[in-house]
Amino acid sequence: MSLFLKNKKKPAILFFLIFFHLILISIQVPLGYEKNYFEKAIFSIFSPVQHGITFFFQKIGNLWDSYFYLWEVQRQNKQWKEEIFLLRQENMVLKKSLNKLENSENIQEFISTIHNSFLIAQVIGVDARNINRSINIDKGSLDGLEKDMIVLDKKGNLVGRIIEPISLKEARVQLITDNNSGVSVISEKTKARGVLAGDGKGNCFLKYIIATEQVDRGEELLTSGFDRIFPSEIKVGTIVSVKPNVSLFQDIKVKPHFEFSHLDLVVVISGDSGISFFKGK
Amino acid sequence: MKYFVESGLGIITAFCLYTFFSKVSFSLSQLFNFFSLVVIYFALTRGEIHGAFMGTVSGLIQDSFSLGVFGVSGLAKTIIGYIAGFISHRINVIPFIRNFFFIVIMISGETALSIFLYNFISSEYVSEIRPLIFFQPLSTAFLGSFIFLLLRKIKKSRS
Repeated sequence: MSLFLKNKKKPAILFFLIFFHLILISIQVPLGYEKNYFEKAIFSIFSPVQHGITFFFQKIGNLWDSYFYLWEVQRQNKQWKEEIFLLRQENMVLKKSLNKLENSENIQEFISTIHNSFLIAQVIGVDARNINRSINIDKGSLDGLEKDMIVLDKKGNLVGRIIEPISLKEARVQLITDNNSGVSVISEKTKARGVLAGDGKGNCFLKYIIATEQVDRGEELLTSGFDRIFPSEIKVGTIVSVKPNVSLFQDIKVKPHFEFSHLDLVVVISGDSGISFFKGK
Repeated sequence: MKYFVESGLGIITAFCLYTFFSKVSFSLSQLFNFFSLVVIYFALTRGEIHGAFMGTVSGLIQDSFSLGVFGVSGLAKTIIGYIAGFISHRINVIPFIRNFFFIVIMISGETALSIFLYNFISSEYVSEIRPLIFFQPLSTAFLGSFIFLLLRKIKKSRS
């Protein structure tokens, strides 16, 4: 009897582990895309580790850049000085234009609100299974991050939105290239409305554009704001191909504006004032 | 206690490498599967049960850092960890070349199992497979064989 139990012990443990996984998979069925506590707990434990590793290697990189790689600094300084000069000019012109519409106190208040609504975050990790689905950033609930806040790249192009799990100092961003993502968009020229979904390979598809509707290759896509998650008029991507389909809708491929390989810093739009800034454009 | 510490260190190392490589280049993180290497290493050295447990833990960590169904990588890695331990106690897979092919087969098996499970649960995964993932067994096996050889030599020199 004891020999029998000894022989069956290993397969029994394997079956127990398989059963445990099947339970984990099954409990997600009623939850849908909501994350279970077990997943949230693992993310909360390991995301600070990821944060720490990124911080460590960044510090080493900074050490190299600060003390050994100085030949690049002069060129960069010159470039940034020019850029700051142009931005100051632009800022001045914009302030003058605003002054015509509002008094200066209101403008200062508006600008400070906008500054507080933009939260700069660093990318600390990519999706462990498919890099085009999600990224992890170094800001979390302690920084005021909440589910569905929108994320832009340095140039103001749409990257995605904050999803769960959100830990104290880390959060996950669902990219617009994820095939479960959906963004309500409108084409800039022909004003065709559709839903942008990712293909999981770094590009997107524009869905639900009927065959008779006119959309052109090279046309810009902007968020429409109809989904009530993404505010309107944020740049999303460019239509790269339009093909007729046997179904009612066209096959439209879209190249997103954000470049995944240059995605080291992102901007999270937090709060209503940040969103109203876009709506007020 | 020693086993727990070693297993924990193994998982932390895999996690550090995954984070580091994804920071260096996004493609590199797709090319090497460090979590699977840790599972196979512990399955080879400690047997099928340890391999299965390591598969569960590292698979669930991988699952929690990716979108999609939580538990699929854990399930695939648990099965592969068990099989790796089971085979390695019956066939000698220690020599370098054998070790290389053993890792290739195990990681290919894990990839195939993951694709099957994903396809079974939701059809989304197959459509999003990147070509780089097909090189993952080869590149991981190449790296893994060298690391395992190095670890064996270190252990030998210590004893």
